[in-house]
Amino acid sequence: MDGHEVGARVVAKSLADAGMEVIYTGLRQTPEMIVRTAIEEDVDVIGISILSGSHMTFFPEILRLLGKYEAEDIHFIAGGIIPAEDIPVLKQMGVKEIFPPETPTSKIVNFVKNLIE
Amino acid sequence: MWDEQKLKDLKDLRRDWEEKCLKPALEARPERMERFLTDIGAEIERVYTPLDLQQTNFDYRGDLGFPGQFPFTRGTTPTLYRGALWIMRAYSGFGDPQTSNERYKKLIEWGVDEIVIAVDLPTQVGYDSDHFMAKGEVGKVGVAIDTLRDMEILFEGIPLNKLKRVSMLGNSFSPIALSLFIALGERQGLKPSDFVVDLQNDILKEYVARGTYIFPIRPAVRVTTDVIGYCSKYAQHWYPSTLCANHINAAGAGSTKATAFAIANGVCYINSLLERGYQIDEIAPLFSIFSDERADFFVAICNLRATRRVWAKIMRERFKAQDPRSMALKITAYSHGGETLLEPINNIVRITLAALAYVLGGVQFLYNASHDEVLGTPTENAAKISVRTQQILAHELGITNTVDPLGGSYFIESLTTQIEKQIYEEFLKVDGMGGAIAAIEKGYYHSVITEGANRRQREFDKGERVAIGVNKYGTESGIPFGAFQIDPTIEQKQIERLNQVKKERNQRTVKETLEYVHKVAEGDGNLVPPVLEAVRAYATIGEICGVLRGVFGEYQAREYFFV
Repeated sequence: MDGHEVGARVVAKSLADAGMEVIYTGLRQTPEMIVRTAIEEDVDVIGISILSGSHMTFFPEILRLLGKYEAEDIHFIAGGIIPAEDIPVLKQMGVKEIFPPETPTSKIVNFVKNLIE
Repeated sequence: MWDEQKLKDLKDLRRDWEEKCLKPALEARPERMERFLTDIGAEIERVYTPLDLQQTNFDYRGDLGFPGQFPFTRGTTPTLYRGALWIMRAYSGFGDPQTSNERYKKLIEWGVDEIVIAVDLPTQVGYDSDHFMAKGEVGKVGVAIDTLRDMEILFEGIPLNKLKRVSMLGNSFSPIALSLFIALGERQGLKPSDFVVDLQNDILKEYVARGTYIFPIRPAVRVTTDVIGYCSKYAQHWYPSTLCANHINAAGAGSTKATAFAIANGVCYINSLLERGYQIDEIAPLFSIFSDERADFFVAICNLRATRRVWAKIMRERFKAQDPRSMALKITAYSHGGETLLEPINNIVRITLAALAYVLGGVQFLYNASHDEVLGTPTENAAKISVRTQQILAHELGITNTVDPLGGSYFIESLTTQIEKQIYEEFLKVDGMGGAIAAIEKGYYHSVITEGANRRQREFDKGERVAIGVNKYGTESGIPFGAFQIDPTIEQKQIERLNQVKKERNQRTVKETLEYVHKVAEGDGNLVPPVLEAVRAYATIGEICGVLRGVFGEYQAREYFFV
C-alpha cells in the first residue's frame, strides 16, 4: 500500500540495467496478487520494499502462499525499513536477504545474480 | 543602481586578483573538485561579487523590495520572526487513538504549536480498518481513524483551539478530513472561527509521487477544489491546500523542478475554481506551499526566497490578484532528507542544519524529522529532541532577530535569481504542455522524477553524494537495534471499536446522509456539506469513500510494467 516507491523503482532499474527482466507490479498489491503474478510470469525472484512497518504481516504471508502454490523455488528478497530485531526472524522464515536503506544497488544486483545462477 | 566607473574598477580589481593571487594559489594546490555542483544542476562559483548581481540586472526594488511587500523575497510580513516566530509543528500519530492522544499531550507540554495527525495508509486511501487491504497496516505509519469517534478519543482533553493550528495528512479524502475537524470542534463547543485547520489536500502530486490516490484525476481535482472553495466561504483563516514540492523532490525531481510542478498544480486548482465563479483574491490567500531541498544548505535558503518571488509574480501578472495576501505565499518545510540508518544520532545534526536553512529562508510552518525516523516511528525521546531543536533555533542564538539576515549577499542574491529563473522556466514548460494534468498524463513529471532518482542513486554509488558514516568514513555496519514497536494487537482493537460505533449509531441517519453524498457527487455541488453530515452521523471513512468510488470510479495505475 505504501506509496514511497523511489527505492523499489531504482532497484528495478538497476536490475534491468544488469540485463535482467524485471516486472514492477506497482502499489497496492496484496500478497495473493504478488504471488500470482510471480507464478504467471514464471519469475526467479520476488523483491518487495516495505516502509510502513507491515512486513511482519506481509512477508510470512508471501512465504505461506509460495508454499501453498508449490512455488518455493521462487526466491524472496526484501528491502525497506525493517527493524534489526525482525531481520533474523524473517530470514529464519525463509526470506533470502533483506537490504536496508543505503545499500549500494550493485550489492543487490550481485546477490540476485548469485541467487539465480 | 550600477555605476559604470565603479564596475570597471571592480573588473580590473578582479583581473588583478586572478593573476596575482588566485593563479599561484591554484598552481600550488588545485581545488578539491573541478566543478562544485548542486542537486539542481546549478554550478556554484568560487566567489561572488557585485559583478554577478550586475549580470542578472539585479534591482533592489524589483527583486527584493521590503519584507511584507511585493515580490515578498525577503519575507511574507514586515517584521517576520521579530513579530511572531514560525509555527512549530509536530507530525505525529501511531497505533490507535488513545496511544496517540498520550503522545499529543506530551508534545503540547513540550511546547509545540501545531499537531499534524499522521494517519495510517488505509485511512489515507479510504479503507476502514476491517478492509482486506488494511491487513497489517492498521496503526502503522500513523494512527487509525475510521469515524468521528476516533477523533474524539484522539483529542480527548485537547481543545482544538489550544493549538495554533491542527492538521491531518490527507489528500484524497480531504472533505472527510475537513469535516472531521469541523464536527470534532462542534463536539468541543467550538466554531470554525475559534480554531485553525491546515490540510495538505494537494491531490495531483499523489499520481506522480507518494501514491495515496483514490479517484481518477479529474474528479479528484474536484474533490480538492471543493474543500478550498468551501473554506473560502466559511473559514477564510484556514489553510485548505498545501502545494507539495516536498514529495516530488523526494521522489527525484530536484527542488526547482519540484517547486515548479507544485506551483503548476496550484495553478490548475486555481483555474478550476475560477471557472466555477470564485474570485482570485478569495481563493489565492488560502494556498501555502510545502518546499523542500535536502542536498544543499544555500539552495534550501534561496529556494524559499525564489519560490515566494515566482508565486507573487504569477498571482499579480497572470491572475491580476490585488490583495497582497494572494501574493505573499506562506511556506511549510520539513527538516529532513539526508538522514542515515548507520550512526543515526548524527541525524540530529543534519536535521538541525536543515531547519536552520529553512529559518534563514523565512519559513512560516516548520517541523523536524526525528533522528530515529529511519528506523521506524519516532520514539518519545527522539520526538522531544526534534521539538527542542526548533526551540533552540528560535530562542537561543539571535537567529530570529532580523528579517532575511542573508539578504544582499552577492552569493544568496545570485543564487536566488538563478533558482527563480529555473522554477519559472520549468513552470512555463508545464504550462506549454497544457498545464499540470496534461503534463502528468503525458508522463512528463514522471520522466523527470525517474531520471533524477536514478541519477541520485548513481552519485551515491560512486561516492559523489556523500553520506558521512556510510559511504565516507564508514566504521559501522549492520542496522542499529531499538526501533519503536507498534503494538500488534491494535488492529483487532481498532476493528472492535469500529464495530461498536457501527452498532451504536443511528442507521437511518447514516443511510440518508450517504445518499445525500451520492446525490451531490453525481451533480456539481460542493461535496463538503454532505460529507460533513455523514461524518456527524458517524459514517465511516470507508463508507463515504465507497459512495464516492461508486460515482467517480477508481484511478487505475498501470497494473504492472516491464522495466
